[in-house]
Amino acid sequence: MKAKPTTHHRPTTALGPVSSSPAPVGAPGRVGGGAEPGATVLPHPQLQVQPYRANGSLVLSANHVHKTYHLGGQSIPVLSGVSLAVRQGQFTTIVGQSGSGKSTLLHLLGTLDRPDRGEICLHKQRIDNLPFRKRDLLRNREIGLIFQFYHLLPELTVLENTLVPFMIRYGVWQYWLRRRQHAEEARELLSRVGLGHRLNHRPNQLSGGERQRTAIARALVTQPKLLLADEPTGNLDAKTGAEVLDLLRQLSEQQQLTVVMVTHDEKIAEQSDQIIRLRDGKVVSATADAA
Amino acid sequence: MFKLLLAWRYLKTRFIALASIISVTLGVATLIVVNSVMSGFSQEMTNKLHGILSDVELVASGMGEIDRVDEKVEQIKAVLGDDLQAVTQVVRVPAMLNFLVHGQPRYHQIMLIGIDDLTFGAVTDFRPYLTNHWHRNGDVFRLQEDGYDPELPEAGWPYRREKYRHERYVRAEMERLLERPISPEAMSRPLRDLPAGYPATGPMPSAGAGSPANTGSVSGTGSATGADGALVSVAKLPPLPAEKPVLPKLSVQVAEGEGAEYVTGGSPIGRGDGTREEVWNPAPVDALAAYREKVQLTPFDPINEQRVGIVVGIGIGRLRAHDPVTGESQDMFFMRPGDDIEITVPSAGSQPRPILENCTVVDFYSSKMHEYDSAFAFLPLSHLQKIRGMIDPATGAATVSAIQIKLKPDANLNQARDRLRAAFPMVQYPLMVQTWRDQQAPLLSAVEMEITILNILLFMIIAVAGFGILATFFMIVVEKTKDIGILKSLGAPSGGVMSIFLAYGLSLGMVGSGAGTVIGILFVVYINEIADVVAYLSGREVFDPSIYFFSSIPTLLSPTMVILVSGGAILIAVLSSVLPALRAARLDPVEALRYE
Repeated sequence: MKAKPTTHHRPTTALGPVSSSPAPVGAPGRVGGGAEPGATVLPHPQLQVQPYRANGSLVLSANHVHKTYHLGGQSIPVLSGVSLAVRQGQFTTIVGQSGSGKSTLLHLLGTLDRPDRGEICLHKQRIDNLPFRKRDLLRNREIGLIFQFYHLLPELTVLENTLVPFMIRYGVWQYWLRRRQHAEEARELLSRVGLGHRLNHRPNQLSGGERQRTAIARALVTQPKLLLADEPTGNLDAKTGAEVLDLLRQLSEQQQLTVVMVTHDEKIAEQSDQIIRLRDGKVVSATADAA
Repeated sequence: MFKLLLAWRYLKTRFIALASIISVTLGVATLIVVNSVMSGFSQEMTNKLHGILSDVELVASGMGEIDRVDEKVEQIKAVLGDDLQAVTQVVRVPAMLNFLVHGQPRYHQIMLIGIDDLTFGAVTDFRPYLTNHWHRNGDVFRLQEDGYDPELPEAGWPYRREKYRHERYVRAEMERLLERPISPEAMSRPLRDLPAGYPATGPMPSAGAGSPANTGSVSGTGSATGADGALVSVAKLPPLPAEKPVLPKLSVQVAEGEGAEYVTGGSPIGRGDGTREEVWNPAPVDALAAYREKVQLTPFDPINEQRVGIVVGIGIGRLRAHDPVTGESQDMFFMRPGDDIEITVPSAGSQPRPILENCTVVDFYSSKMHEYDSAFAFLPLSHLQKIRGMIDPATGAATVSAIQIKLKPDANLNQARDRLRAAFPMVQYPLMVQTWRDQQAPLLSAVEMEITILNILLFMIIAVAGFGILATFFMIVVEKTKDIGILKSLGAPSGGVMSIFLAYGLSLGMVGSGAGTVIGILFVVYINEIADVVAYLSGREVFDPSIYFFSSIPTLLSPTMVILVSGGAILIAVLSSVLPALRAARLDPVEALRYE
């Protein structure tokens, strides 16, 4: 059940032999063979959901997920038959080029969007076909989301931004009753991410790293079990990005968090427990960190 | 919770919200002000109309008169029973009023109303509009020593005495001058050099703003004013050479002046000249001739006696000149209480003839309703009946033109009218039964239509504000697309996102209409002061009392109207935020978050 400490304590700058380990499990030729657009229902032996970690229960899984966008009468297939499985406590990265569909996949996993076909399960229960209200509740309680562009509310202070999930969860009266408790939780979390002194600043008074740390605090304040991050370091310089990642890792370890992170940075991906590589809407390789 | 916080923060941080609030505020304030002024205007006018007219009136159809009045009054009392409060009779006749201004005749077309001053005041608001406070309670047609409105120039008996004493002196002086040749020294002697007996108060009491006219009473020929004017001008001339005496010539002019058209032949004055009467009135009605003869016998002393009293609408006797530069109104009085004027009325009967009558102005009638103030003159009913020959010499019964009825305050106006109509059917009686609303129907319906059209226009104002809010909200939704996406990604339900904007619209409407209500009410309360300030700043009077019915801007603030307007504005604000709110609620979070 516990995440391997070695994974998280590995220095971010490490470029050791471990980082080269993510090798395709199956032969590349066979992967490419099963990727015709028309044959989306074909089961792919290499991409069957596999238990990458025996000691973790299945948290999140996607099974043959398809998504096509329709733009002006034109159909643009974004995901064609993507499957993946994420276990408890795993730090999973989804890597791929721009337009490979990794963000769309993350949105589907985070129930922000629904797949055209296939299914997504959280704790072995289908979540992609839930009604809007249930999916809203799920996002509010079970899933933390972090975005590349922070997506803080500019009118609210750091503390208020962190408290927004609670405000959404409760009505005025309920929130009023709990406001001290939640404010305390948020303050504590913010001081853990190093923003204890900036509680009453507006997002536009913060640096990029501080904004992203605020976003992390907001994602984690409800203590979700699953954190989905969409290129959280994509808009930050290398040093700040590394700090943010370290923070993310620390927190996920402390909170027994399962993390799925989208990135296009191979170096970051190499430090994760599982790497899922996407190309043109298909998983080209999925690997568990053997270390 | 987030809805309230965000709605509040959006309200606080958006300048555009302020613009929407201001548009709502202005709309609400305008509506309240305009509505208050309109309904105040309408109410004031209705009250005035109602006050001046009686509740119900039985009026002779056509030119005929109502006869057997007492009988009909009894019948009315029987029909109306407890609903009746007071009843009076009036004679209304179009007439001409003339007087001299600076020696020039001035004619006025008037509606002469013969009233019974004991009962007329009980049926209509007549007495409160008189300028002399004694007249408001007592005998209306008697010239008073004092008690006139201080706004009037000197009036009443003191003025009359002084005026006619002066005239008498001038006449005596003229006669003296005409009797003997004039030396140049006498010509150059100033007129002010008065004999010891004459009160030293100045040449004419009316030397100020306007010249008080006097008519036939002086020398019975109407030429006294002309002579007076000539004398004054003579006095101002440089001394003339002795061989060119002027005054004999002048006397010729005076003699010629007797032929002037406006000469009042029938004036019952000592020097009255009977031949003229025949020219004007070749075959007088018997009763009238008898009356005239009787009057001729008694010499009239204008200093100590008054003629029959007439109350003249102030718009006839006064010219209110407005100076656009100084913004001040200056009053010019053509006549004032104490002056004698002449009226010409048609005699009763199928072949009306003009009847001339001299009257003494005893008071002004100032209802502040220009239409009435410039047309009405009131004479005692019995006197008017007498001079018009409306009294049957055999029976002594008089006819009237209308019977006016005042109902009890809680009586049903139209029902009373219908009952009277049933009692006096048109086929049997040449009578029309009308309420004051029937009589003023064109005016009332015009005002009503004005209010309707105005309300439509004002609704447009609010609708404009509503569309402003709609546009503003759409802009805010577009601007906040990303935020909406964030909120949804954090699990905010669509309904919650929608209610942010609805709450936003609600608070916008509430703040806007609250401010608008306060501003509107303050504006209405201080409207006359504001008008004064605007007049001072712009140099033009905003509300010119000489144009309108009222001396100040009338307003009527009805709580129902204020609540309706402010509530309606809030409703419109919420309604116009529904569409943008729906749009916000339907935003796809993925789409929304893609904006960067």
